[in-house]
This record gives sequence, C-alpha cells and structure tokens, in this order.
Amino acid sequence: MSTRTAGLVAALTITTSVIAACGAAPTTAVGGSESAGSTAATATSAQDFGGLDKLVEAAKKEGRLNTIALPPDWANYGEVIKAFEAKYGIKITSDNPDGSSQDEINAVKTLKGQDRAPDVLDLGSAFALSGAQEGLFAPYKVQSWDKIPEGQKDASGAWYYDYGGYISIGCDAKRVKTCPQTFADLLKPDYKGMVALNGDPTKAGAAFAGVYAASLANQGSFDDIQPGIDFFKKLKENGNFNPVEATPATVEKGETPITLDWDYLQAGYAKEFSSKGVDWKISIPSDGQYANFYAQAINKWAPHPAAARLWQEFLYSPEGQNLWLKGYARPVLLPSMQQDGSADAAMVAQLPKVEGTPSFPTPDQVNKAKETLASGWGAAVSG
Amino acid sequence: MASLTPQVTTQVTPGTVPGAARSGRPRQRSATAARPRVWRGVVLALAAVYFLVPLIASFVFTVKVPDQGFSLDAYGQIFSAEGFGGSLLLSLGLGVATIVLVLLLTLPAAVAVRLGAPGLRPVLEVICTLPLVVPPITFVAGISTVLRWGPDYLASTPFYQTIIAVQNPDFPVVLVLAYVVLALPFAYRSLDAGLGAIDVRTLSEAARNLGASWPHVLLRVIIPNMRSAMAGASFLTLALVLGEFTIARLLSFQTFPNWIYRISGSQAQVSVAVSVFSLLITWLLLLALSTAGARQRSGS
Amino acid sequence: MRDSRTRSKSRWAALPLLVFVVIVFGVPMLVLLGGTFTKEGTLSTANITESLQGAYLTALIGSVKISALVAVLGGVLGTFLAQAVVTSRFRALREAVLTASGVLANFGGVPLAFAWIATLGNSGVVTTTLGLGDHGWSLYNFWGLTLVYLYFSIPLMVLTVVPALDGLRPQWREAAQNNGASTWQFWRYVGVPVLTPALLGGVVLLFGGAFSAYATAQAMVGSTVPLVTLKIADALTGNVLIGHENVALALSLDMILVAGLVMAVYLPLQRRSARWLR
Repeated sequence: MSTRTAGLVAALTITTSVIAACGAAPTTAVGGSESAGSTAATATSAQDFGGLDKLVEAAKKEGRLNTIALPPDWANYGEVIKAFEAKYGIKITSDNPDGSSQDEINAVKTLKGQDRAPDVLDLGSAFALSGAQEGLFAPYKVQSWDKIPEGQKDASGAWYYDYGGYISIGCDAKRVKTCPQTFADLLKPDYKGMVALNGDPTKAGAAFAGVYAASLANQGSFDDIQPGIDFFKKLKENGNFNPVEATPATVEKGETPITLDWDYLQAGYAKEFSSKGVDWKISIPSDGQYANFYAQAINKWAPHPAAARLWQEFLYSPEGQNLWLKGYARPVLLPSMQQDGSADAAMVAQLPKVEGTPSFPTPDQVNKAKETLASGWGAAVSG
Repeated sequence: MASLTPQVTTQVTPGTVPGAARSGRPRQRSATAARPRVWRGVVLALAAVYFLVPLIASFVFTVKVPDQGFSLDAYGQIFSAEGFGGSLLLSLGLGVATIVLVLLLTLPAAVAVRLGAPGLRPVLEVICTLPLVVPPITFVAGISTVLRWGPDYLASTPFYQTIIAVQNPDFPVVLVLAYVVLALPFAYRSLDAGLGAIDVRTLSEAARNLGASWPHVLLRVIIPNMRSAMAGASFLTLALVLGEFTIARLLSFQTFPNWIYRISGSQAQVSVAVSVFSLLITWLLLLALSTAGARQRSGS
Repeated sequence: MRDSRTRSKSRWAALPLLVFVVIVFGVPMLVLLGGTFTKEGTLSTANITESLQGAYLTALIGSVKISALVAVLGGVLGTFLAQAVVTSRFRALREAVLTASGVLANFGGVPLAFAWIATLGNSGVVTTTLGLGDHGWSLYNFWGLTLVYLYFSIPLMVLTVVPALDGLRPQWREAAQNNGASTWQFWRYVGVPVLTPALLGGVVLLFGGAFSAYATAQAMVGSTVPLVTLKIADALTGNVLIGHENVALALSLDMILVAGLVMAVYLPLQRRSARWLR
C-alpha cells in the first residue's frame, strides 16, 4: 500500500467533506417558512394570532421551546418547565442552566439563525435594558399587561419584570450559635471567617445587590455605594469575610455558614439543606432592605416564536405566577393577584418577612454604582 | 555510543535507548547509592501527601452523610444522572479527533524544523506558546464573534453552511479546532523532545541515502521511533480535552466537563463525586493506554 | 551541506500547521484587536489606556507576580519530582506518576478549589485536625493561591522535563564519576546545562498556564487576590458589568504583550543554551 495512494485517498476524503459542508443559507426564514411562522415572529400580542386558542395551536405546531440559564431550583423553574410541558405538550430544551445574563445575550448573538438559539430570556434588569437598546428583543404584551405596575415593564413591550426578591442573610443554625439578623450583626467577632457572598460583586448579580444593601445599611443611598464597599473592607479587616464563592457544596462542607443572597434562593436552599445536616435560617436585614426584579424577554430571532409567546402567557397567568410564588419569589403580579384573590395565600405566608415596600434605583444610579464598584472593590478587599 | 573507557564496569549496556529501564548502578557505589534512595523516597512521599490529601478530603466530603456515616450513594447517582453517557462519549470523540489533527499538523512541522528549516524554530516556539497566554475566555470571545459573521454577513456565501456545520451540537468541529490550538504547546514540546532524543538527522540522512522518499522516511523511519513521544502527546491532548470546560461552556456544547459543572449547581455531593470520579477514570484510561502501548513496544 | 531545494521543501512540511494556526487562532485574535481599538464604534486607544490604570493595572501586576512565582517554584519542585520518578527502579511508579501528571495538569477550576477548601479552608479537614485556625491560618490570600496553583503546575513541569531527563544518558554520569566528579559537580557542569533548554521551556509553560488560569481563583479567593483574568471574566461573562467587553479585550491584549516580553527573554536564552547540543 503505497504512501502516495494513501495520501490521495486522504486528500479526496477531506475535500469531499469540506465541500459537503459548504453552501449558502436557505432563502426561507429559519424555524418554519409557512406564513404562520412569519406572523408569529412579529406578533405583539395574543390578538395578533386571533386569540389565545389560536396562539396555543400555533405553538403546539412548533412543538418545541428553547430556554437558557434557568436552574431548576431557581424560583421553582424546574416545576414551571414541567407544568408547561405537561399542559401544552411542548418539549422544552433547557440549555446552560448556570449561565449568566451576559451568557444569555451572547447566546442570542452567536446562535442567531440556528435552531438551538434561545427563544425566551430571563435577564437581570440592567441587561434587559441594554439588550432592548441593542434591538435584540421582539416586543410582546401579555394578556395581563395592564396589571404589571408602571415602571416594571418597557413601554413598547421589549421586556417586563417577572419576579424578584430581597437580599437576605442565610445562616446555618447548626454551626452558628446565634444567627446574625442585620448587617450590623455581621461585624461581630463571633462570625470570624464565616460571611461569604455568592461570588464577586463585579460578576454576580446577588453579590452586587449585597454590597448595595450594605451601603443602604450604612448611611449610603442608591446614589452612593461607597459605604457598602467600606463595610466589606471592614468585614475583611475583622477577618469575618470569607472570599470563597458560596455554593451548596461550601455550605454543606461548613466553610460558608453565613451567606448573602436573594431570599428566594435562600428559602430554596433551606429545603434542600435540611436533609444534609444543615439548619438554614433566613432573615431580611432590617437596616439594609434591597429588592430587585429580573425581566423576561423574547428573542427577536427566536426559532420558535409562537411557543415563545405562549411561554410568556403561561408565566403571566395565575398558574405561572403561583409557581414562582411556590419558589419563594415575589412575582410581579402579586399586588393585583392579592387583590383579586388568585394568589395562593399559604405560599404568600411562607415568604420571608419584610417591612414596608421596596423602592428601586434608576438605571443611571445602578450604572454609576457599578462603575464605582468596578474600580474600588478590588482595592477594598485585597488589603 | 560504544566509546566507553575500559574502566567502566561491564554492567552498563552501550547505546541505551532513552526511556528504557536503567540497568542498575555500578556495584562499587553501594554506600552512596543509599543516599539517593532516601532522597528519592522523601521527595516522593512529600509529593504523595501534597497531591493525595486534597483528593482524599474531597472524597471524604462525598461519602459523609449526616446521621448515617459512610455512604457511597453519591457515586451511584452519577450513572443515573441525565446526560452522563452522552457527554462522556462526545468528549471522548472530540479527544480522538483532536489527537489525530494535532499529530497530523505538528509532526511534519517539528521534523521540518529539526531537519531543514532551523529558522522556523522561533516561529514555532512563539506559535506554540501563544495559545497558553491568551485566556480561553478571550479566545472564545474572538471565536464567537467570527461565528457571528455567519448569520450577519456571510448568509449568501458558501461559508454560511460551513460555519453552521462546525457548530453542529452532535459533533462540534469548532471545538476540535479550538482544542487543537490549545493542545499545540504540549504536543509540540513532547514531539520536539522526542525528536531530539532519537537523533533524527542521522536517521533521515541514512534513510535518504538508501533511497527512501520523504514520505517514506516520515512514515516508516521517524514515526516508529517516535512512538513514546507521540503517545505522550496523545495522552496530554486527551487529558486536556477531558478537562477543558471554559470554551465548551461559553459555546454551549454538552461536553463531559460542562456536564459536571451543570449538575454541580443542584447537588453538591454528587458534583464533587463526579469530579473525583472523572479524575479517576481519566487516570485509569490513560494508564491502560500507556501500559498497552508499553506492552506492544516490548513485545514487538 | 544541505542543498537549498531540500531546505525549501522542508519548509512546506510546516505549512499546514502555520495555515491552521493563522486561520483558527489568528482570525479570532485579529477580531480581538479590532474590538480593543474600538470604543463606541470609533477607532480609539481609550480601552488600552484604561486597561493600564488603577484597578486593572493592579490586577495585571498581581497576575504577573503570582505566575512568575508559580513558574519558578513549580519548575524547581517539578524537576526534583521528575528526577525522583525517572531514577526509580519501579517502572509501574513511573507510569502511574506520568499518567497522573497528565490528568492533574488539567485539573483546575471549581473542583480543584473545592478540594483545597475542603483540606485547608477555614473548616477544612487539615485545618481543624491540626488546629491551624487558632494560629491565624488562612488559605485565601496570595500564598494560598500559589499553593493551589502549584497543584496543576508541578505535574505540568514533570511532564515537560521527564523526556529531557530521559535523554541524560547514564554514560555521561559514569564518565563524570570516572573523572572524579561529585554528584554536585556532575549536575552543575553536565546535567543542568544539558537540561536547561527543557527547563526554560517548562518554566515558560508554567508561567503561561498560571497567567491564564481563572476559574480556580474565582471560586476560592475572588477579588482578594487581584488577577487580570478575573477582570476579563467579569466583563465578558458576568451578571453585573455591561458594555465593558472592549476593555476586557484590551486587557487580553496586555496579557499577550506580557507573554511576548517573556518570549523575547526566553527565546535567545533557549537558543544559546541549546547551541552546543546540536
């Protein structure tokens, strides 16, 4: 067998496979070339389909939905996905559950035109804003649009808040004698090496909120996050700050018995940890109350546009909102649902206790806070 | 290398092939031979402690269940976890493809540098060290921007389908290409060291003098002598592919390391168990391959 | 003397590799350059200047410091370990250690961080058994991170150096001894000079590996140890910062420039040390 023949065969194989992989894009749109498909991609409400039933029909014909960055134990998304699949028979592909909001935006841009692009997004509010500015979302107003409070949705329907929570202090009562209740408590010497965030505030949304809340607790304001940075600097100097990224593994190990995180996540952990020898207690600090919502959006180039819109209708129906409530998150329609009685009262009672109503920073205040944090955090904690 | 002085004891065999088992030290140094043995033992013991203790600590975490003591449940759950088999097979397939491509590209270049184009050496050195200092995150940022050209600019050219084809989730060629770049430094150094050890210049000159063509020299003379270096390069590449997760995660492909990271969010003990387990099976796999290779070498 | 025809023909053999690298690596890097010099749609060097100031500069210097330390320490320790393995009588030990090195050289990120947290963290197995916490021990600083980085650096050095150690023929050792050299003299005048190219190459490899690592540090120390890769990750895949991608690309360019400096020092050294080997 001469080397020359072998070389020729190899060259032929490579050339044919390369040619097979070439070819221009099909001229028809991705994800269904029927006229129904193109209507779905531009529909801005259920009316454009001719009613909710027609929307359900169109979605079932598509048969699939791609989601991204939805961990099953985050605001009970596991059950939300199962309920949607069971109700409409539409198969959901849940990609990259641990992805960040930036990963979602990247996926929209990178996978444009492909069948596995995400259809629907659940983003941090700042990312929803910037994504809308970049023109990445398809505007859509769900049937309960008017019930979403003003200021918690985009006027054109590009994004809309879905659920939110408060920053809370989670604590393992088995390993910590008296659990801290407020930010001031965290500075006590009893908690040496115990207080952790779920990552860097320059990267993790909940950690950023934790610093913002600490600033509110220390005479700061939405305009001024510096007291929060100073608080953590003091925490580090005391030796109470543990720089490890708090995860279920580190909590179970006992390395991070006190963590700052969203209250709905902490409540979910409490359930998960009870079988692992951890007695997880949650408290929303009264001196620093900071709440934030996440936002829903539909990918402008969604491969399954009708299914995407049906998903939103499902999430903003009492059934979807109550499932989030079951995950200890505060759904955006909660005020109106409590009024007309469709909120599950037992689950409302389970929510961690908090006084008063939250106020939210404006996007400008948040951006300024992020800039201050980005330049000052490293210096503060690496001392 | 038969040019040994007659005083050397005949225990030493001339022309030892590098890497083969040493034939033992000359008898007259039995007193000093004890010292190296102690030193060696100390170094190996310290290394064993340093490398094994963290792994043992991880293992202890996975088998400790409160109120029940010891339990191997976490390991049992690995196999029933969804996506285990598929992601493992994908990673193994990517590994094999990467190995083949890396060797195909690097071996001719390494031989060329040694034999005919020494001026290329700095170029190859730079090329083979650059992938190390570009963080995978940045590399992926570049790759995904290039991939975005597909739908944005190249939709009407033949390249569009190529770009889509390399991102096929069942076998993403784009990952193979990226992994080849990552594996280049290790593969090149391994092959270069191997070529240095076999005096490739003499061998190829002898073969050429006997009338062999260049492909023949490469395939029938150089490669058989390079088996251990090529095996080393292959193992390194396989270990790299089985351990690489940044690029796979940022491009959203379900490789084995990405799968491990995915299930770490919900189940702490199982995720740590999977890491320990994957270390173990990767090591056993490499060990099996290398002993098989050794047996083949000694048998032939 | 080789004829020019053979010389130019050998160059063709390297062509596939060069073409491949130019396309698969070069094109994304060009894209990176484009992004670095773009600020809000216009050509500008603002990103580069921003990336060399304040927190970013601290991070860059911090990365260089830890990478240099890990490279040198890992180089020395790895060489000793490699020598211990290579001179051992048990072939099984050699195979086991070499394959384990191959595996551990790629072990990193969250599992590695967790393994060390479980061992020497505030509630780690070793910390509680030996009562280190009472003496003020903390893993979460520059030295702790160095200790953890060595975990994948030493195996990498072992892998790089073992082929070179194999190439140290026993005849040279015997010849040196016959001429009256002590062990120290053998290493100083024969062993180390022969090994120097491989040692240098290994140290550079270790530097690069430690320089571009980030997942381990992110899981273990966060920003308490300033590292440039963490800053890049914050901007490119985070949940907080928006619109900082181009500064991240500028930081990556800075990293490449640092690597370029290291290569500029390494290449002449390597050439000089390998000259007499040819």
